[in-house]
Amino acid sequence: MTNKTTTILYHFLSILLAILFIFPLVWMVVSSTKQEAAIYSDMGSFEAFLPSMKISDWLIPYKEIFSRFNIIRYLANSIFYAASVTIGSIIVNSLAGYAFATVKFKGKKILFAVMIASLVIPGETIMITKFVVTEKLGILNTPLAVILPMVATPLYIYMFTIFFRAISTELQEAAMLEGASKLKIYWKIMLPMSKPAIATVGTLSFIMSWNDYIWPLMVMTKSEMYPLQVAITNINNTQPVYMNQVMAILTISTIPLILIYVFFQKHLVQGLSSSGTGVK
Amino acid sequence: MKSIKGIFRGNTGLKLKKGNSMNNTSFKENMTGYMFLLPSLIVLGLFLFIPAIMSLYYSLTDYYMLTPNLTKFIGLDNFKSLLSDVQFRKSIVNVFQFVIFIMPIQVGTALGLALLVNKSRRGTLFYKVAYFSPVVMSLVVVSVLWLYLLNPSSGLLNEVLQTFGIPAQPFLSSPNQAMYVIIFVSAWQGAGYQMLIFLAGLQNIPEEVYEASTIDGANKWQQLINITLPMLKPTSLLILTTTLIDAFKLVIQPMVMTQGGPLNSTLTPVYYIFRTGFTDRQIGFASALTVMYGGMIIIFTIIQRKFVGEDTND
Repeated sequence: MTNKTTTILYHFLSILLAILFIFPLVWMVVSSTKQEAAIYSDMGSFEAFLPSMKISDWLIPYKEIFSRFNIIRYLANSIFYAASVTIGSIIVNSLAGYAFATVKFKGKKILFAVMIASLVIPGETIMITKFVVTEKLGILNTPLAVILPMVATPLYIYMFTIFFRAISTELQEAAMLEGASKLKIYWKIMLPMSKPAIATVGTLSFIMSWNDYIWPLMVMTKSEMYPLQVAITNINNTQPVYMNQVMAILTISTIPLILIYVFFQKHLVQGLSSSGTGVK
Repeated sequence: MKSIKGIFRGNTGLKLKKGNSMNNTSFKENMTGYMFLLPSLIVLGLFLFIPAIMSLYYSLTDYYMLTPNLTKFIGLDNFKSLLSDVQFRKSIVNVFQFVIFIMPIQVGTALGLALLVNKSRRGTLFYKVAYFSPVVMSLVVVSVLWLYLLNPSSGLLNEVLQTFGIPAQPFLSSPNQAMYVIIFVSAWQGAGYQMLIFLAGLQNIPEEVYEASTIDGANKWQQLINITLPMLKPTSLLILTTTLIDAFKLVIQPMVMTQGGPLNSTLTPVYYIFRTGFTDRQIGFASALTVMYGGMIIIFTIIQRKFVGEDTND
């Protein structure tokens, strides 16, 4: 085989695969710009992957779904939940990681062992008793019900512990000699030095909260508390269902994640490969 | 030695005042540690440890959420009825079907894609973005989107099949096809992310190894078999373990796409836990499911950790 034929073959295969992977996303976005009837009539032709010819029509399905449902509220809910989880998760997990990495206290070894052991508990299977606890706490239908359970994660505590252990102790000792408290060292020295760990844990927490579905479905029964993911299935089950409007809400829900992946992709790979190989 | 230590302590007067010695941890330092841990201990306690213990306890009762006062201790009765529970058995069979197919398909695809885009040529960035694009959609979005694409009467996929002369397929409305459709959609969604991790692994293989083998006369195929794949082993094991554990937790795709049907052909154990515990409010029975299935996943995880741990220590 000559070099040229391999190159052509390579691109042929790559493009075929690229189409297989990207066509649903393209179809979703372009269908959200069309009239309902146009989606069906374009289905058999290549036009299924082209947006509406009239640019002024593009936002019509969006306007319609915004008038039928309180999309702004769902969007605001999702942003609020995800932002709170992200900030909470960075603070709570890094505090614990800092204690495990630098503070000496009784029972540290046992607590750390329990933390590592708890990594094997599959969270999804205990959702029923988790729901019972949440109900007993009286926080059903409040933001706390979706935010609180997500702000502490054994895996992220472990990641912060490993990260803090690697930071040189000299700076901390110097600060301690000058009388700085542990809390001050954490806030003024350790956190500013751990931007990579913060970016990884923050990004993973945001995505996890944004995509969370079953837990919010269980604890939020009032529709005004729904995050987007729950709202999507609710809209998809509320008659009359219009395909273009459903595609519009799917697109709205995806845009923030595209931005997150574009800006934080690097930290995601680092996070997963480091966390996975480290834990035994 | 003791005196030297003493002198050392004397020099760091500040530390000594705080009682920061190696042997005796002071009350203050103890408290500092606990204070830092307190938020995470409260959250993990409430939403992980207590629910886990409660599941163990409730699994031995007939707790029904609407009549909590009538709850009785019934020993292992829940587990006995579980063993003969048709839906539970079906859900276990289904999830194993999912696991057995998704592992080679998704991980194999991810590896293939990574090898395709590893050497940067013209167009690699576009290909990478395309392969990764399903990852940016949440599982709910992916499930709803494919629900429309796979619609037996008006979906895009059947339109495409028919233009190629293939008869329209029932897809999700067929008990024989539904699980395979879910396997395909899940692999399609997840492969791009694992491709990135494989790529990171590929970039860790030093270029000199390839150069040396080229001088020794190895061709591309021999390099793949003898260098690339063996050196990717840690990455592959990591991906295989995470995929396996995640696959056992399959729930959103069947919940949104098929509601476990048709004929329970896509009912999974986690979905069954949700139905009995949340929809039917049978906390006792659902807890028994949790203990049984959660226990199974924990055992798998521990075996895998041992396996992977030993392997990366080589």
